[in-house]
Amino acid sequence: MKSKIFFKLFTTTVIACAIMFSIPAFAQENTKLSDAEIASIAVTANQIDIDYAAIAKLKSKNADVVKFAETMAADHKAVIDQAVALVTKLNVTPKDNAVSQKLVADAVKTKKALNSKSGNTFNKAYIDNEVAYHKAVINAVENVLIPDAQNAELKSLLQSVLPVLKTHLEHAIMVQNKISK
Amino acid sequence: MSRLFSITKKSVIFLCVLFVINSCTSSPENVEHKVYTVEIKDMKFQPAELEVQKGDTVVWINRDMVAHDVTEQPDKTWASSPLAMGQSWSLVAEKSADYYCSIHVIMKGKLVVK
Repeated sequence: MKSKIFFKLFTTTVIACAIMFSIPAFAQENTKLSDAEIASIAVTANQIDIDYAAIAKLKSKNADVVKFAETMAADHKAVIDQAVALVTKLNVTPKDNAVSQKLVADAVKTKKALNSKSGNTFNKAYIDNEVAYHKAVINAVENVLIPDAQNAELKSLLQSVLPVLKTHLEHAIMVQNKISK
Repeated sequence: MSRLFSITKKSVIFLCVLFVINSCTSSPENVEHKVYTVEIKDMKFQPAELEVQKGDTVVWINRDMVAHDVTEQPDKTWASSPLAMGQSWSLVAEKSADYYCSIHVIMKGKLVVK
């Protein structure tokens, strides 16, 4: 039992750390991200959370979890739509890069882990991951993507996404507290 | 003749008194109601608390890129449909109420009807 709890804690921590440090580490090791790379990271990060939400909508029967997942799917799609409209207007083609590739690789592992769970174990794993993921993405947007963005409209879009992400985090923590009781 | 004049005089005075009373008493039809706007911006209702008079109109307009709604709390006695970016919804204020966004449940507002 103890080893099971330890394994769960370890897995969650590893997922959180992987996301939390991949973008800042890249930024320190490399030159600034270009606007095309930032656009790719933004779309990828939003799509990953839509994918997690799709799994939650399929697997969970908890009303709070399902409602949260529906909000994630709708909001992150709205953000992608805005990002795509902007890069189209600016004639920028999102450029695949090491960060977006790392995000996708980590998401594959997380989706596999989520799909292997069911019931309340799934609910907890999903919402714990949402808390960790949003913390990591907020950190990356604030400390790397916004400072690196060159185009004023792209910078402004990223700044307007921040309150959305912070609200998602508060919402996720609220659901996390509710289901852990 | 003088009696007729007296009755007419009394009637005129009575009508004048009625007019004055009517002018001083505010009937709902005569009150000019105001229109207030609450912006939904940066995932907040701005202002979060709004004081209005009964019968005033409150318009909520969504300035965010994500959809929001405006739902009375706790009984959901009134609610807007989801408002996409740029869309608005209005309500004639009848009584004070707490409200929230049922999509983003941590977003809360308050309407105070004086």
